[in-house]
Amino acid sequence: MTQSTASIDDAITREIVKSALAVAAEEASIVVVRSAYSAFIQEGADACAAILDARAQLVAQSDATSLMHGASLRACLPALLEDIEPGDMSPGDVFVMNDPYRGGIHANDLVVFRPIFGAGEPVYFAGTLIHVADLGGAYPAGLAALATDTFSEGMTVPPVRLYAKGVPEDAIMRLLAANSRTPEMVLGDVRALVAGVNVMAARVGELIEQHGVATLQRFVDASLDYTEARMRDEIRRLPAGTYHGSFRIDSDGLDLERSYDVRVAVTVSDGSVCVDLAGTSGQARGAINASLSQALSGVVYAVRCFVDPTIPMNEGCFRAIEAKFPLGSLVNPRPPAACGGRIVAVCGTTEAIIEALSHAAPERAVAQSAIIHVYALSGAENGVPWLSMSYDFGGLGARAVSDGPDATGCFFLGGRSVIPQHEPMEARFPLRVLRSRLLPDSGGAGRFRGGRGTETAVLLLGDAELTVRGDRIALPPAGRDGGQPGRPGGYAVERADGRLELLADKQSKIALRAGDVFVMRTSGGGGLGEPWERDPDRVLADVCAGSVSRDAAEIVYGVVLGAGGDVVDSDATARRRAAGRRGRG
Amino acid sequence: MKGRSFIGVDVGGTFTDVVLGDSDGDVFVAKVPTTPADPRSGIERGLREVLAASGASPARVGRLVHGTTRATNVILERKGARTAFVATAGFGDMLELGREARVEADRYDLLFEKPAPPVEPALTFELDERIDARGRVVRAPAPDAVEALVRRVAAAAPEAVAICLLHAFANPTHEQLVAAALRDALPDRFVVASSEAWPEIREYERALTTVMCASVGPEMSAYLAGLESTVRALGIPCPIEVMDSSGGVLSASLAARLPIHTVESGGAAGVVAAGMIGELEGERAVISFDMGGTTAKAGVVRGGRPDVTHGFHVGGIASLAGRKGGHGFPVRIPVVDIAEIGAGGGSIAWVDAGGALRVGPQSAGAEPGPACYGRGGTEPTVTDANLVLGYLNPEALAGGVCLSPQRSAAALERAVAGPLGLSLEDAARGVHEIANINMAASIRVVTVQRGIDPRDFSLVAFGGAGPMHIARLAQSFSIPRTIVPWSAGVASAMGLLSADLSVDHVRTQLMDEADADGHAIEEIFAELESRGVAALAGEGARNRLAFSRRVDVQYKGQAFPLTVEIADTASGPELVATLAESFRRRYHDSYGIDLSLPTQFVNFRVRTTHVVDKLVLRPAEPGNSEPPEPAAERPAYFAERGGSVATPVYAWAELVPGQRLAGPAIIEGPDTTVVVPPGCEAAIDRWRSVNLTSAAPAT
Repeated sequence: MTQSTASIDDAITREIVKSALAVAAEEASIVVVRSAYSAFIQEGADACAAILDARAQLVAQSDATSLMHGASLRACLPALLEDIEPGDMSPGDVFVMNDPYRGGIHANDLVVFRPIFGAGEPVYFAGTLIHVADLGGAYPAGLAALATDTFSEGMTVPPVRLYAKGVPEDAIMRLLAANSRTPEMVLGDVRALVAGVNVMAARVGELIEQHGVATLQRFVDASLDYTEARMRDEIRRLPAGTYHGSFRIDSDGLDLERSYDVRVAVTVSDGSVCVDLAGTSGQARGAINASLSQALSGVVYAVRCFVDPTIPMNEGCFRAIEAKFPLGSLVNPRPPAACGGRIVAVCGTTEAIIEALSHAAPERAVAQSAIIHVYALSGAENGVPWLSMSYDFGGLGARAVSDGPDATGCFFLGGRSVIPQHEPMEARFPLRVLRSRLLPDSGGAGRFRGGRGTETAVLLLGDAELTVRGDRIALPPAGRDGGQPGRPGGYAVERADGRLELLADKQSKIALRAGDVFVMRTSGGGGLGEPWERDPDRVLADVCAGSVSRDAAEIVYGVVLGAGGDVVDSDATARRRAAGRRGRG
Repeated sequence: MKGRSFIGVDVGGTFTDVVLGDSDGDVFVAKVPTTPADPRSGIERGLREVLAASGASPARVGRLVHGTTRATNVILERKGARTAFVATAGFGDMLELGREARVEADRYDLLFEKPAPPVEPALTFELDERIDARGRVVRAPAPDAVEALVRRVAAAAPEAVAICLLHAFANPTHEQLVAAALRDALPDRFVVASSEAWPEIREYERALTTVMCASVGPEMSAYLAGLESTVRALGIPCPIEVMDSSGGVLSASLAARLPIHTVESGGAAGVVAAGMIGELEGERAVISFDMGGTTAKAGVVRGGRPDVTHGFHVGGIASLAGRKGGHGFPVRIPVVDIAEIGAGGGSIAWVDAGGALRVGPQSAGAEPGPACYGRGGTEPTVTDANLVLGYLNPEALAGGVCLSPQRSAAALERAVAGPLGLSLEDAARGVHEIANINMAASIRVVTVQRGIDPRDFSLVAFGGAGPMHIARLAQSFSIPRTIVPWSAGVASAMGLLSADLSVDHVRTQLMDEADADGHAIEEIFAELESRGVAALAGEGARNRLAFSRRVDVQYKGQAFPLTVEIADTASGPELVATLAESFRRRYHDSYGIDLSLPTQFVNFRVRTTHVVDKLVLRPAEPGNSEPPEPAAERPAYFAERGGSVATPVYAWAELVPGQRLAGPAIIEGPDTTVVVPPGCEAAIDRWRSVNLTSAAPAT
């Protein structure tokens, strides 16, 4: 009885601690997102707040956070501790860094840590990360699509002290400001990052006071162990074995003739997963490389997609997964390879693992998905510089049991809430959006259809410079099990005089004039299964909703509609499908 | 107004509460079952009962205010009207594209589905027209294009039409043209334009606000018209008023025209009630906590007014982070800032795959209800835990249901105690406390996450289940004073009687501080105020109108403005300077950051309030301060006492002002139970409220 009371006391306290830590990280991320200056912090997309322990274990991270950012904080902390001994840290100290070769992502993703003290030494670290407005480099805002090294991507910051005992280190602040095209904004962003770690430090400090260092760590450990146990239990439900997958990337933007491969061998054994990326292409000259923390986040994300999605995200998830990244490759480059476009390699990694694990769990199989297509327009209006960065998503791949969602790919990213709306864009920048729509017939045909891609057209009202970065354009998302690939997207400019110029999938410094129209199409997701096996009623629904044209229904799916277009002509469909089968047989 | 009485009608999921206050300050209550198919029959019964009980003459009813969740339910159940959507050419896919966010578990779910768009693609229509961000016409719609559009819309035979054209917030003429043509062609259909529903920048939220408005329009206007005749048939002559989402009250005719404003009517009434109770008790800063069968809701009242948000998601999911962006349908209208969490008396306790005890978000609801109801529920709920712990009286519960502790015990044994190897008592306590942790999250969302220190507030707790948990919640936040009002079971209906008539108007106009013209801003305010006056026309004398001016300000280039209030005496250049200064101060208060960057004004807002006569409550006669006699005694569990101890049970109805009692104790009211833990003191004040204060710091 007494033992049981102790165990329920523990269970209750563990819940209190878990909830308090999650809430602290969430509260910090709200402070960071709301006060940050950077225009890229829309709806909390490119921001993260996390609590780590002294061993750099990820204890809690904010909800809306992409794992890319949490994984970066987790990888940066050991680098900080390597350079600055915990014994040399004081309460009120804050540190800043961004080096992609020491856990960072790329120059513009600035990381801030504040040690949280208990019994006289740092026992936890509060960390925040956002994509800051500008930190130098060859192109504004860190969209250096054609950078060839980290130097052209921006200023590299090793772990350095930003605040000493609560007082800002003026030298570092001035250095950051002097290296930015928008010094005031960058300092505003830095202050937002610091405000975030301060919030977490205060909340965790209260918990330490309430429970004591040892007890708190016991509850933290219990919560990480719990997650690890859940991960391992879930992994045990996958059939043991080694599964292979690969993904081919269009190009690094510099050499358009050369593609890159991510290869994985995923070994599922008793309660753990090992992902070996041997055979992956060597590092690229262009910026599509993923630094180590980013490649790891892609691995952990993809494996997480094959276990119970409600498992909390913390160190316990990392413990059950081992990853091997060949040095000098796309997923573990040697410095100073450029890493700003790492989303390409990270999503290549997740796609390869999803393909591999689709063999292990066919009921969760997914065809290939599209990716985020980015464009940045910049210029000057009456001498005042302006910069608009925007994006859209392609279609997700079809799943074994359902169609791929439209315009939300790839899986790793967080949904459409991050895309800037058109009215605020037009209010701020000299441009007019002419259309933004889903593209019929863009989703790869199949028993289940890939998600649709989109088309966005922007009329320039003043001169501007354009940078684009996309992928899965030359090599559109492939179908699976007989499904067709998605329709490839692309970038183009319709010049004011009527000429049409097609752009590469990654291209910088394209000069646009007032009256030119920039057109971006995102790719559709791959289909799954034979299109001629698709339920004719689903094809009819697609035609009614405008997802599939009537021609495609007939030619690709073999579904003939009645004269009004609102019913399936069953006899004609059966004849057509039978004839098609004979023709192909 | 002497001799007049006031009536509040709050229709909840289970009960319809009708409250009548008369000119002597006496209050009469009727609690009748809600009649979901047609709530009016429940309302009619409640009105009859309360009129009979009070002996008030229907003809002397001076005010009737209604709180309703009808609009929300229509949206949640996706039973809205078949709505057509008219968009600018090139943007018809806006709703289908959506703006969902994938967070938490969604992010790792390969099988996730985007929420279905609120308008089917076949009912979306595009019009070739364009206005730019400054409101200039780029391309006027051709007359034959409008005619063709109207023909196509009519052919699709929708029940309602929503129009949202780009930049209509800056220039509504194209929308007005289309709306007029559609109303001509479809005179019996509900047609609404975004510039009427909520003319604020950001096309997606504005379009959704308009579509939601259209989809509940036919239902709400028919419902309110029917209610009007029900009330007239009873001989009540006054116009019906409806609580809006921001805690003000609208005339029924305005509510029928723009029903989206009633979307959080029911929730707002609770927060307004907490504000009213706080006001009576001399507290201008209160946190409201309303816990019912399926959810717990927290809100904040400062300076006597509920906090309001412009980031509400209809049907959004609630969790640790409050209302999640990207879930449900975001609408931009002002809504009382409420954090709702799936933790109520009916929340089900379970053990997850990793052996952790969890509570909710699944709920046993009203049917089959908790296991102890004996109506087929077999899963243990928070109510079952409270019964096992001795907090609930097995012999009495609202509705006259007898509760079965045996059923509760069996359910808890099977689903919680057994799997975890716990005693029954420990299992029940675990469920109770984990429910507390979940509920604490809702309070954190509206306080700590908004930069508010809850220790500076008093807590007002109501709803059937709230007062059983509230002392522990107050302890966990170190909130010094907790008030459980005598009217805890009908608090929302009481809140309805304390609100003034009000309307909100907004205008988006981006204006840099550097080139802002104070006089131009005054003109914007004047225009918004004249619209407020027009909307409240006929509601009474001009001298009873009050205006509150607010502006959304941000540092130029930022995405999230803060709303600052500005006195209507500020004018000219001083107005601009004051605005910028208030914003910088608010920014510092919110984030602890000072920036020397230029600011930008985004949205100008005016709330016009018509101050009305309200119920004046009469305090109870002061009684003796003798320690009260318990009505009964039963074992109840308190961790501080190491288990179950004999605990005195008091009948609230017999307690009089001035009496105090020390925990552990239980106070049973007509439809709620207050648990007073050890170390806590309860005092009855002149409003018959139970005041809980901590005698010593919680251990």
